[in-house]
Amino acid sequence: MPFSVCSIGILHFTGVKLKQAKEWEPKLLGFLCRWCSYAGADLAGTSRKKYPASIRIIKVPCSGRVDPLFILKALQMGFDGVLVSGCHPGDCHYQTGNYRARRRIAITKKFLEYAGIEPERIQASWVSASEAVKFTGVVTEVTKGLERVGANKLFTDERQGDGTATAQ
Amino acid sequence: MEQRLRSEVKALLEQGKIDRVIGFEPGSLKFTTTPLITSDGGDVDHLVINPFIVNNLSVYLTGTSGRVGIVAKGCDSRSIVSLIQDNKVLRENVVIIGIPCSGVIDLTKVERLAGKDRDELDDIVRQGDKITVTVGGERKEFPASEVLFDNCLGCEFPTPREYDILLDEPVTPTPDKAISEQKLDSLREMPPEQRWQFWKEEFSRCIRCYACRNVCPACFCERCFVEESEPQWVLPVPRWQDNLIFQVIRSIHVAGRCTDCGECERACPVNIPLRSLTREMCNLAEELFNYKVGIDKEAPPLFVAYELEEAEDLIR
Amino acid sequence: MADSKRINKEDTGRLLDEWSKEFSVSVPSRENGMPAMLPWDGKDTSFLEWYRNTVIPPKANFFPPYEKMFDFQKGAEGYHLELPPSDKQKQLIFGIRPCDARALTILDTVFQDTYQDPYYLSRRANTVLVGLGCTNPYDSCFCTSLGISPGESTDVDLMFTDTGDGFFIEPVSDKGRELLAATGGLEDGLEADEARAKDVKEAAYRKITRRIDTGDIQQRLAACFENQDYWEKVAAKCVSCGICTFLCPTCYCFDINDELSQDEGTRFRSWDSCSFPIYTRMPMENPRQEKWRRVRQKVCHKYWFYPVNLDITACTGCGRCIRLCPVNWDITQTLNNLPASS
Repeated sequence: MPFSVCSIGILHFTGVKLKQAKEWEPKLLGFLCRWCSYAGADLAGTSRKKYPASIRIIKVPCSGRVDPLFILKALQMGFDGVLVSGCHPGDCHYQTGNYRARRRIAITKKFLEYAGIEPERIQASWVSASEAVKFTGVVTEVTKGLERVGANKLFTDERQGDGTATAQ
Repeated sequence: MEQRLRSEVKALLEQGKIDRVIGFEPGSLKFTTTPLITSDGGDVDHLVINPFIVNNLSVYLTGTSGRVGIVAKGCDSRSIVSLIQDNKVLRENVVIIGIPCSGVIDLTKVERLAGKDRDELDDIVRQGDKITVTVGGERKEFPASEVLFDNCLGCEFPTPREYDILLDEPVTPTPDKAISEQKLDSLREMPPEQRWQFWKEEFSRCIRCYACRNVCPACFCERCFVEESEPQWVLPVPRWQDNLIFQVIRSIHVAGRCTDCGECERACPVNIPLRSLTREMCNLAEELFNYKVGIDKEAPPLFVAYELEEAEDLIR
Repeated sequence: MADSKRINKEDTGRLLDEWSKEFSVSVPSRENGMPAMLPWDGKDTSFLEWYRNTVIPPKANFFPPYEKMFDFQKGAEGYHLELPPSDKQKQLIFGIRPCDARALTILDTVFQDTYQDPYYLSRRANTVLVGLGCTNPYDSCFCTSLGISPGESTDVDLMFTDTGDGFFIEPVSDKGRELLAATGGLEDGLEADEARAKDVKEAAYRKITRRIDTGDIQQRLAACFENQDYWEKVAAKCVSCGICTFLCPTCYCFDINDELSQDEGTRFRSWDSCSFPIYTRMPMENPRQEKWRRVRQKVCHKYWFYPVNLDITACTGCGRCIRLCPVNWDITQTLNNLPASS
């Protein structure tokens, strides 16, 4: 891995703890590509569109930047689901980043499902800079899916040395 | 085959076509072989080919300099092709000495069937599809399908596709996916929570010796993500959570490189059925992207290649 | 022997039951085929049939693959440490082999050398070792070359010898003598048992055929220490995994890591291995970048540096490193083929 620092690592190491409300609500970590989906989310905000507050967003240069490790790490940290979102096929700022991302995400989703992680927890979408409505739709649907599968208890352990970084 | 191998290697060394050879010699324990890496022509007579040549020798290629002759079974040759695709090995620097392989004997299976440990057995002889095990003077016969490694039973490419010298006539593949993937099928039948529970228990035993990674030719990273300390993705503490993340990510990292040689599972000292992860990765590469590993040295690797339209059903 | 005892094999379960009242009893058990010393389930004594030795050495019962050292919180006054509750439970390990028992004696020298390791030593003090002599050693075993007899041990508290339908039981330490005196339902050992036990021990000794030449080994290692060609040759096939060191009953290296979140965290220690290229990278760099240096270190540490520093060879000939190595790297070959000089 050529990258020594990335946002999720910083999140972990500056010790950002996920605060959970008394009643469980899904927590979704979104990796949004800066050229399309992040701008789409921004547009949703500036146009005052309503969507669930479940999502925490990390801006990535390209959906191709998302290592499957980020996804699993987010689940270990206690997020209930992960959304990777990038430009539509053919629209990648770097020409082919999202095609590469697509292969990686497809393999990761299917493989983690085989390992026993509910597919609802690993989601991907194509959202362009103008698709604020699509963005709110995706977040709403993904959140509903997470409500269906419930809280992520994959990495919790009753035994000593709990491997989840989540507190409370 | 063995005689031909020795004379070919001798000639290659003498003619200066290779600087060293990677092959198998008899191991120090009964029914074992061990990798032989040598540039000494005198060692060539130790080279053997028998049903116990378990190792995937291509793991040594990335660390060996000069022009190398390498003994390769079907799966090993595909690992070499994959290394060539990844630019880790230059084709002109290797002389692939191919063994048409009819499968390697899984000693754990023999031990289970014979009810005795490896060193308590007198003899194991393979003749075609029959394997005769002698224990305490008593001879027991088993069909190869009960004694070969699971991955060998599902092997589609027993004969190397890429080679410079092929030591014998090609072997006709007889893959039996059902037998080969018995363990995977039983996992597929479980509900997801039970599968996760299964892996959680298996990985509770992991001691993170990294034998699985270090015997794997596809794991060629100079620094593995588990060894990163900033950020420290995974603690070097063998808790099941970290162990599981390590192995799941390792499986994803070797997607499109794993040839189902089964070395990770064989090397594991605590019997974690690792092939049940890596084999599924091979299946996914094929199902989703029609990608078979180590077939075409000119093809781009799985995660470099793409089609304009694929896997869209998995994306919103 | 005046204080020896005997027991029929079918009464083993009853004996373990009795000991379970006072101790947490561990016996050889298989977890998905992988044998280790695990807590006794209260009924299964089938290990008497299959047990030869464990994969995970019993050092793990004292020095586990990982353990929590303490939790810590940052407060206004600095850090507050919270140690895990010390384990007061007395434990009994049934069936430890003489090689592995010797290994604990070797580990004692490390964990109470200049620093008294509370985690290891408290478990050690709370434990009774019940040895079980080998009758069927592996072809990889070479304990006799290290001065160990597979049927006998001075490193346990009680020693069991398989006499066919029963066990001949000899106390070795005072702890063992006390336990034996407090254990009911055992018959006194007969002379015939003792004679039979002697035969069994001698037969086991003869079964070990793998040998290393330990004569002036330190000098021989010193003589070829700089022989890079030799070490490169023996190290060529090593894949630098941690099997031989993690599963060595005498290897004790560990790494320390913190899991941090905001103002609190947990400190763990876990097994580490000199085979790994990243070994000791945390403080600085690994001085043994090349594989042959790491292999040389492993061999020399056990047979040369350790004896010089602590007057004991750090190998017991249990053969795990040979038996479990994925590439059949064999320490006995490495030692026996040492060139006379560089």
